[in-house]
Amino acid sequence: MADPLVIECAGLSKHYGSTRALDGLDLQVPRGSIFGFLGRNGAGKTTTIKILLGMVHPTGGRVHVFDLPAAEREASVAIRRRCGFVSEEKDLYNGMTVGEIVAFTASFYPRWRADLQERYLRSFELSADANVKTLSRGTRTKLALLLAFCRGAELLILDEPTSGLDPAVAEEVLQLLVSHVAREETTIFLSSHHLAEIDQIADRIGIVHRGRMILSGVLDDLRQDFRRVQAVFDGDAPGAGFATPGVVRVRRKGRTVDVTAHGHVDDVVAEARALGAVAVDVSAVPLKEMFLELVAMED
Amino acid sequence: MLWHKAWIDTRWRCLIGLAVLLLSAMGTVFGYQLVSSKALDITAPQGSGMVAAAIREALELSRTFKGYVWLNAFSQNLSQLGTLFAILLGGGALRSEAPGTLYTLSLPFSRRALMTTRAATGLAELLAITIVPALAIAVLAPAVGERYSILDALVHGVCLFAGTAVFFSLTFLLSTSFPDPWRPPIIACGIAVVIGMFETFFGRVAPVGIFHVIHGESYFRGDGVPWLGLVVVVAISAVLLRVAIAAIERQDF
Repeated sequence: MADPLVIECAGLSKHYGSTRALDGLDLQVPRGSIFGFLGRNGAGKTTTIKILLGMVHPTGGRVHVFDLPAAEREASVAIRRRCGFVSEEKDLYNGMTVGEIVAFTASFYPRWRADLQERYLRSFELSADANVKTLSRGTRTKLALLLAFCRGAELLILDEPTSGLDPAVAEEVLQLLVSHVAREETTIFLSSHHLAEIDQIADRIGIVHRGRMILSGVLDDLRQDFRRVQAVFDGDAPGAGFATPGVVRVRRKGRTVDVTAHGHVDDVVAEARALGAVAVDVSAVPLKEMFLELVAMED
Repeated sequence: MLWHKAWIDTRWRCLIGLAVLLLSAMGTVFGYQLVSSKALDITAPQGSGMVAAAIREALELSRTFKGYVWLNAFSQNLSQLGTLFAILLGGGALRSEAPGTLYTLSLPFSRRALMTTRAATGLAELLAITIVPALAIAVLAPAVGERYSILDALVHGVCLFAGTAVFFSLTFLLSTSFPDPWRPPIIACGIAVVIGMFETFFGRVAPVGIFHVIHGESYFRGDGVPWLGLVVVVAISAVLLRVAIAAIERQDF
């Protein structure tokens, strides 16, 4: 039986005047997954997150979180009670100390995890008396994660959590996420355009482009399905062909044809041989390349 | 805890406002002997012009402590400073671009609860910075050998609070329409000046005029508490606050 869905959007749209921030987005995030939500800047990632949290009203479509309609005010309060959120800006209260913002946030969550609070305050070396505005970006990120983790949240929504961090701190944050999920059985919805990070920790991904989901699935399955087929010909590569379903992109250079395919790889190989290829090589496609090829195809 | 956050966000504006209005009230009380002795030396100007009439009235009022307090505190310093700090307290309710807004909106309460708490906290602070200086006049009056009724101080304080609450509510509403913290108070100050000038030159609207209520003029002149004016300003404030809350609930950010 499939895992129940924590997030489910169907035909979700959001228009700002003539601008379509979301244009019929479909999204399913199963419970317990680390879902990497990928897209270029302006693709609709942040708008989606704001709709999930009830900050932005959708123009159309259906959006449910924990089976509750996120577009309805009262339901969105109930959803936020079960979610942790870290924004890209790690935007916290500059006028408060660490202790004050922790106490303030804890007051809204009956399931606040005081044990985790103590553990993370210690391991992040956060002083309760430190003023939030004096914290470095890395420490602010850790504080934002602490505030999200300790809510006892069933779903963590993270918008570019490693944005602006140096590689060492970014890696530390990613490891923290993985270990937290392993211990607490939380679902993570991680929005990012850092493909390497998603590749490292996500088990499912969705690629959003111009407000629509152009690819979604289990990352391992997608790695299996996406293949690069390189065919070498005796003379110049044929100018036509490779119109097989699933072909994402075809590049011809001299005697070589590079085909990126999503599924139907055997059909592509068979076609290459039928066209007279003398050598055919099939290799895996890294996530970065998958993303770039799909986005280029959509453009 | 929303109350606590609203207090943290506005506490400096409130405390500075309280200190400034309190100092102004103290200055009025302790300046009485100097002003009243000077007033006796000044000859009232003759003539029928508006300015001459105003000077004659000011001199006349300054001959009694009650008149002097009303003229200097309730119709001038406290009303102007009260209006200014009401505008400052009303600013920055929930701005899309303010630091911490996204964090606030990710917490499990409605925008209505957030805005209602913020408005209630701001109004409570405004009540403190208007009532306390008014009562301070009554408490300090014996120090200069005068008496000032607590009831009079209370009525003037309430009038000051209710009238300036309109400008608090106006700024609160304006701050839902502008992403920066500067334009709402500047626009509200401009509107206050225009209303003040309008009421000065078109005195016929006085019984329900905002500054007429703020000054508590009808009460001072023995016409009783300006109930109609109080009802009108409270109604205006309620409408402005309600519109502000509805506006924030509708907005996407």
